Amino acid sequence: MPLHEFECSKVIPERKQHAVIKGKGETLADALPQGYLNTIPGSISERGCAYCGAKHVIGTPMKDVIHISHGPVGCTYDTWQTKRYISDNDNFQLKYTYATDVKEKHIVFGAEKLLKQNILEAFKAFPQIKRMTIYQTCATALIGDDINAIAAEVMEELPEVDIFVCNSPGFAGPSQSGGHHKINIAWINQKVGTVEPEITSDYVMNYVGEYNIQGDQEVMTDYFKRMGIQVLSTFTGNGSYDGLRAMHKAQLNVLECARSAEYIANELRVRYDIPRLDIDGFGFKPLADSLRKIGMFFGIEDRAKAIIDEEIARWQPELDWYKERLMGKKVCLWPGGSKLWHWAHCIEEEMGLRVVSVYTKFGHQGDMEKGIARVQEGTLAIDDPNELEGLEALEMLKPDIIFTGKRPGEVAKKVRVPYLNAHAYHNGPYKGFEGWVRFARDIYNAIYSPIHQLSGVDITKDDAPVWNTGFSTSRMLSDSVLSDEVRNSTTLRQYSGGFDSVTKLREREYPTFERKAS
Amino acid sequence: MSCEVKEKGRVGTINPIFTCQPAGAQFVSIGIKDCIGIVHGGQGCVMFVRLIFSQHYKESFELASSSLHEDGAVFGACGRVEEAVDVLLARYPHVKVIPIITTCSTEIIGDDVDGVIRKLKDELLAEKYPDREVHLIAMHTPSFVGSMISGYDVAVRDVVKHFAKRTTPSEKINLLTGWVNPGDVKELKHLLKEMDIQANVLFEIESFDSPVMPDGSAVSHGNTTIEDLIDTGNAQATFALNRYEGTKAAEYLEKKFKIPAVIGPTPIGIRNTDTFLQNLRKVTGKPIPESLSRERGVAIDALTDLTHMFLADKRVAIYGAADLVIGLAEFCLDLEMKPVLLLLGDDNSKYVDDARIKAIQENVDFDMEIITNADFWELENRIKNEGLELDLILGHSKGRFISIDYNIPMLRVGFPTYDRAGLYRYPTVGYGGAIWLAEQMANLLFADMEHKKNKEWLLNVW
Amino acid sequence: MKSASASAAVVKQKVEAPVHPMDAQIDELTDFIMKNCLWQFHSRSWDRERQNAEILKKTKELLCSEPVDLSTPHDRVYWVDAVCMAEDFRAHYPWINGLSKDEIASVMQGLKDRIDYLTITGSLNEELTDKHY
Repeated sequence: MPLHEFECSKVIPERKQHAVIKGKGETLADALPQGYLNTIPGSISERGCAYCGAKHVIGTPMKDVIHISHGPVGCTYDTWQTKRYISDNDNFQLKYTYATDVKEKHIVFGAEKLLKQNILEAFKAFPQIKRMTIYQTCATALIGDDINAIAAEVMEELPEVDIFVCNSPGFAGPSQSGGHHKINIAWINQKVGTVEPEITSDYVMNYVGEYNIQGDQEVMTDYFKRMGIQVLSTFTGNGSYDGLRAMHKAQLNVLECARSAEYIANELRVRYDIPRLDIDGFGFKPLADSLRKIGMFFGIEDRAKAIIDEEIARWQPELDWYKERLMGKKVCLWPGGSKLWHWAHCIEEEMGLRVVSVYTKFGHQGDMEKGIARVQEGTLAIDDPNELEGLEALEMLKPDIIFTGKRPGEVAKKVRVPYLNAHAYHNGPYKGFEGWVRFARDIYNAIYSPIHQLSGVDITKDDAPVWNTGFSTSRMLSDSVLSDEVRNSTTLRQYSGGFDSVTKLREREYPTFERKAS
Repeated sequence: MSCEVKEKGRVGTINPIFTCQPAGAQFVSIGIKDCIGIVHGGQGCVMFVRLIFSQHYKESFELASSSLHEDGAVFGACGRVEEAVDVLLARYPHVKVIPIITTCSTEIIGDDVDGVIRKLKDELLAEKYPDREVHLIAMHTPSFVGSMISGYDVAVRDVVKHFAKRTTPSEKINLLTGWVNPGDVKELKHLLKEMDIQANVLFEIESFDSPVMPDGSAVSHGNTTIEDLIDTGNAQATFALNRYEGTKAAEYLEKKFKIPAVIGPTPIGIRNTDTFLQNLRKVTGKPIPESLSRERGVAIDALTDLTHMFLADKRVAIYGAADLVIGLAEFCLDLEMKPVLLLLGDDNSKYVDDARIKAIQENVDFDMEIITNADFWELENRIKNEGLELDLILGHSKGRFISIDYNIPMLRVGFPTYDRAGLYRYPTVGYGGAIWLAEQMANLLFADMEHKKNKEWLLNVW
Repeated sequence: MKSASASAAVVKQKVEAPVHPMDAQIDELTDFIMKNCLWQFHSRSWDRERQNAEILKKTKELLCSEPVDLSTPHDRVYWVDAVCMAEDFRAHYPWINGLSKDEIASVMQGLKDRIDYLTITGSLNEELTDKHY
């Protein structure tokens, strides 16, 4: 499998170890990019820090918690309101963020007293909230504040509150992934096993590595609840603090984003003997298989099958409408970590897309193994890409669309490649059967935007087009190459769900299943 | 009737109004042509600042990190800066200016950035890039001092200090705009053009609002050139429009080259724009042309349509950067509105002595509070628990949930305004800015009347 | 330019891929697993060894209509992956339905050897031997 050397990175030859093109007849044993190594300074990588990996990615989606960052105000401000992890308690954790506001005098004399005052002030401002997480930052790690001691002191004084401490300063590791790891381990060490949950079902699971982006978690737990499964906790999207303290009582850990949360799933297996089942919540077939597996594990496969049949009957004609129109369109699948493998194969199978490149900002070699395993020959895989490499790859591959983050999406815009937000989604959720159609719809809308057609026109050129009509529609652009049979199909149809597919789930009533006699 | 100025009563921050110093230095960095800054610290200090710039402008800007990791935090990370400069120069042949921006972590571990720069000049630049013009500029912006605003102030000074030279004194002025939007720079340049005044503009960020071109060639970047920066030493005067966002540089130029510094006023509203133009006239001797009098008249006309009928007595809270907040408050007073609460988001001790704040204190005829080192809880708590009634909020997008949850219309103004489309394109300064601000405020109030069915029929005839 | 950021890891000795008389069929099954499954990619080699052994054993038992041990929750988790995979094998690779039990056993052993090679013995993933999660 040939390593791929970017022209722009010839002066940093170690980068050659970070990209491969999947070669014909070659396997993972022939080549694998390096991963999770320290970033090359000045390369303009897209990586964040271990603080954001812990606090921003995993900690903050916990919904009923005061999340305090112990440090200068910037870490808190900068990460606040940059994600779309919603919750069913009016987004408390999105709306409120707390910084201890460490100043120079605290750097010199210590900031522990300041931290304690902050904790008390925050609980006073929000008397209904009794749970707190505290995150170390670079500054307070370097001055050596003992956050754990302060947290213990407060818990002693205020017995009704519970505080979790995560020591994951920004510099702790090559990327945000260092923070994922630290908070996983800190949580199981400090909190798992400290609450005994009420068990209300014969079937009890944790949903791990799921962050409720635009409601993903609520879509998935809707299926689980329809099956009569008690979801003890979600780590961590829309998850409650005390639910997550009770993770040890589950019979099964269903793991979605293994990149960010396999550590706790593994530790739960080792320490509490709870098995780990990796699933894909994206794509009809992977999702159907996932629901079936969970059903089979609990001996309630029939309940899973009923849901799958209902959902597929409802949504397949809509997914296929888009598949016909997305056939062969080239994708750069450039997310942060897990989506490169979650999506790589099923967008080809189920939407007809062709993945021409995968990359990962903070993934490890294990993510590249999964991603490369799932793509076709000829696909370019890049670890820890930087700005110039991204542009060079776009130039080389000429994709029809790119799935990436918000800021890199702006880079793509300038070179006229439509982008979809792979982290926060455009109009998600993208999990679930309906979500998968929403994803296909968003891809379609991006690729066939009439504005995208217009952006390529140079009106100064003599051969600039003269328009026959004062408009074009996406449909005019997409359907011109389709067969009459497809174009006029009466079975296929466009997405018919609404703008908000999640809120209604919150009012839903679920069947009660009789408990087995114990 | 009183106007109290006080510091927030809590030590902590619940929902911060400001970010920290390195963000200000990074904003300066992207305003300079052929410049990519290196932030010496953890990667998040860059990644998230780039993200917020892209949230606000819907564009991407290049900034690099020295990528401080554990080993550097323990043993010192000067080597990371050396490597970063080398990598950046090797891969970006157009880059001439590299600010080295420190953060809390690298200031605490005590990395000698100035020493590294000397070493790089003696070794790397001399040996590997002898024929290349490269400027390395240290910017000390520890996150535990000041805020993004002071970081901006420090960085502008550092840039000017590095470049300014006295060669041939010119008629030009230096225009230090402060932390503003492309629409503001456009408006300010328009005023100067009408006055027939040439300027070194710090910073030429009109180009942040860049196109998508058919050949994919466009990029977003600032356009203040090295020549402009050198030329700041030749100007006949420096106009620092925002007291807290450029004064350090203006004072440096005054001290070093005897270039008179004109500090403020932030030209928000009619009166402050008038003063700005009068200052320009005084310094340059150029008359204020009829065309600007006409523009002013158009603005007065627009404001007359709105003030006493709709805007008068409306109670407003304003938060954000001090110069912006004060300028907006002054303008609101001219519009007969009541800015009852001003929130200044950092602990700058100079605010209490600011002449503009003193003037407000002495003259307002309603109860008003000015909070320094403020956070959003100072606003929300007053609304939620202390009965503060507001008709309007003016401020940036991070306060959006207060507006949403308490059903108070809010005009997005300042930085960042990511939850509204294209606001960076419009001015808040100059006569054009006065029109934009007043009409936006009015339209928001109108929409609110309709949304709440609160005398919405009033607008049938107007 | 310094290469402080380059890997300091020892270059792994290349391991030869296993050979089996039914390699063409094993290629197909391997491709299916690689594109559709996640169970083979746990993060550490000891977990991969267990996953590969248990899940492929149960898959083989299902394909050969042999009894499957479901006595522990762990058995059940291996089994659910095996059930889906066995069904997909039969649907996508009908040749498997024409094989005798011995032939299936042989193919599945070859498949296990291949998957072990790709994910463990021949894997270039340097984190597999990390002592901690």
